[in-house]
Amino acid sequence: MRCNDVKRVAYFFLDGTLDATRQKDFSKHLNLCPDCKARTTIHRRIRLFLKKRLARLSAPARLKQRLTRSLRAFAD
Amino acid sequence: MKSAEAYEHEQGWDFEKAAMPYVDSLYNTAYRMTRNSEDAEDLVQETYLKAYKYYDKFEEGTNFKALLFKIMKNTFINNYRKKKLTPHKIDFSEIEESYERVIQKNAPDLIKDPESEIFQDMMDEDVKRALDSLPHDYKMVVLLADIEGFSYKEIAEILDCPVGTVMSRLYRGRKMLERTLLEYARKYGYIRQGEPAKMRSRKDETKGRKKKEQPEEEAEAQEPEENEEEALFSEDEDAELEIENPEEEEEEEFRVE
Repeated sequence: MRCNDVKRVAYFFLDGTLDATRQKDFSKHLNLCPDCKARTTIHRRIRLFLKKRLARLSAPARLKQRLTRSLRAFAD
Repeated sequence: MKSAEAYEHEQGWDFEKAAMPYVDSLYNTAYRMTRNSEDAEDLVQETYLKAYKYYDKFEEGTNFKALLFKIMKNTFINNYRKKKLTPHKIDFSEIEESYERVIQKNAPDLIKDPESEIFQDMMDEDVKRALDSLPHDYKMVVLLADIEGFSYKEIAEILDCPVGTVMSRLYRGRKMLERTLLEYARKYGYIRQGEPAKMRSRKDETKGRKKKEQPEEEAEAQEPEENEEEALFSEDEDAELEIENPEEEEEEEFRVE
């Protein structure tokens, strides 16, 4: 696997959606290529960062109340 | 024999029990889509009511969460389509290039300290702005995949598009978002500046192969225009990038509205 391929599929490697062969090739490449290893690390960290920062806002209590009320009114 | 009322009441209660666990997820995504809490609440409300209307049509084993998101996405389009959302042409090759530039400049600092979190000090406002800078389609897939944890297949179902398109948009959306975050980080000084160092260290001189690759990479970095986005992940590649989906359940083709 060349650097160009690695760049293209890095996200999918991190998603765990590459097939076994490509996954192995990818890992092998990272062991040989500090550049690609660095990039993949950065992808991974940014993803973790975003997950944390854009993490679930809780729905406001009033929304939950509204919903419950409407659904129950519907049912009656 | 249950009265009609009792049945309806029970059904309503069942729905509530089944659907309420997702309200936080839905609200979070609605908020990211509409960018204000009032509209987000209205959107979630409308979504639930619509879903409730169709509840008796749902079959056992329906992916309820994906269905709710699908309804919400359709409701959003119906209500907000008039407002703007005109897709603007993205020259993705420009984005790839600026990504390369910013990564070359900042990667050494970013990876230097493995213990520190990236962008630790970045303000929520800036993160939000970065996300909002994405075209709507890209933003949606990033939210659904990276925040809500849906699979490509589920996202394809929610957005009613091919899996190849989902993957293409994920690639572009994630890259755009990273690029923007890195640019903010650099501009506003979030990245702790170490000593300036190039991406390729002097040790790499021995790896002649890598040096030769550099100009080739640049030439190949030309990505197709947005309207050819599916070409990025052609049929062949889709087959290669096999999505492991062990629980291959029969998903009903549900159409809402």
